Amino acid sequence: MRAPAIAASNLEKRFGRAVALRGIDFAIPDGTSLAVVGPNGAGKSTLLRLIAGLARPTAGTLQIGGDDSHRRATRGRIGYIGHATLLYPALTARENLIFAARCYGLPDPADRADALLADEGLAPVADRAAGGFSRGMAQRLAIARGLVHDPNVVLLDEPFTGLDRNAAERFTKRIEGMRRDGRTLVLVSHDVRFAAQVADAAIVLHDGRIAQAFFDAAPDASELEHAYLAAGEARQ
Amino acid sequence: MNVFLAVLWKDLLTEWRSRDRAVAMLLFSLLVVVVFHFSLPGGATSKMETTAPGLLWIAYVFASILGFNRAFSMELENDALSGIALLPTDRGWVFLGKATANLVILGFVQTIIAAIFGLVFELALLPIAAPLALVVLLGSLGLCSVGTLFAAVAVRTRFREVMLPLLMLPLLIPVLLGAVRATSSLLATGELDFAAVQLLLVSDAIYLIISFIGFDYVLDE
Repeated sequence: MRAPAIAASNLEKRFGRAVALRGIDFAIPDGTSLAVVGPNGAGKSTLLRLIAGLARPTAGTLQIGGDDSHRRATRGRIGYIGHATLLYPALTARENLIFAARCYGLPDPADRADALLADEGLAPVADRAAGGFSRGMAQRLAIARGLVHDPNVVLLDEPFTGLDRNAAERFTKRIEGMRRDGRTLVLVSHDVRFAAQVADAAIVLHDGRIAQAFFDAAPDASELEHAYLAAGEARQ
Repeated sequence: MNVFLAVLWKDLLTEWRSRDRAVAMLLFSLLVVVVFHFSLPGGATSKMETTAPGLLWIAYVFASILGFNRAFSMELENDALSGIALLPTDRGWVFLGKATANLVILGFVQTIIAAIFGLVFELALLPIAAPLALVVLLGSLGLCSVGTLFAAVAVRTRFREVMLPLLMLPLLIPVLLGAVRATSSLLATGELDFAAVQLLLVSDAIYLIISFIGFDYVLDE
């Protein structure tokens, strides 16, 4: 039997005395798009950073394709696209991608960078410093950076932050493309309607716990919104 | 190895474009030299062979602290540090890449400062240039090993500018002892003090190994 794409068991994360996450249990198969929603401070980004292997769980286990999320080889299967772009402003768009491709040990970093720049429509500005990019362009470059090593699990942390409507629409299409490619997606977002639109499953976090989970069927937008609002009210 | 070369290339290219780190380190070291020049009793040349090595290494250490802080503050912009932590590699290679870039930039600053120091304090550094370069290289290797590791620790703290010297200076004692003793011996006799060089070699090896291994944990949240 194939291991789940992502499986968390009794997952807990503390920062000193503060408990960011506790008792998190879920498992999703390959190719699932999981939306993680919840009010500020619910633990959404912490969960994403645990899945990415950027943080170690205080207790419990978190596995990606059957391997511990913190193993080196596991990190290579994960792409991370956050509201921060992970880019170096002093480097050009092309140099940023070449740097990432070299770090992942790809055989021809320059070719990979050029292909990604073309995919994202950034070829004409490939030699411009990333620091001079608009928010939308920087986010497109961040997507290219996140996909440079062709990961099968893509983590998206509030990727719409600061995007205008056109850029958000383009990005939505990009996410739908990633779904069609069969990648496993985990999307953290405050935009519940959008999350419901692209997700096959969803969890609503509240105060570091799963307040409600939708795993059996694609979540309905109004249902998910209701759960989200209920979590927010409980917090107040 | 890919990561080592990529990080080294990225850090040096970024510095070449901005030059902010090298310029800041250079200006700061120059100020230190000027302050020493005017504050020493009896003029600059009195008993300089005995005091110069300590003063030179103070300038180097303060300049390096400035450089280490900046080396990691650029990784905080756009959360690029997370991008590095995500790499599927032994993070020790990231450490080596950043430490080598720090060593190259510090070496550039040290060369200029040594020349100015020699001129200001009327020291004949040219005849001992080769052994002095070896001592400076060994001392800087220890400095950059400890400094790069603790800059990565300090960068996520609230008071990183204060935290870095507090963390690294106590650990630098063996490196500074070796470096100052070896430099003193060179200035006084023109000969290398092999005991001091051995101390430098041993401290460098220990700090390099510990930092290479420890960096994996430093990048964790």
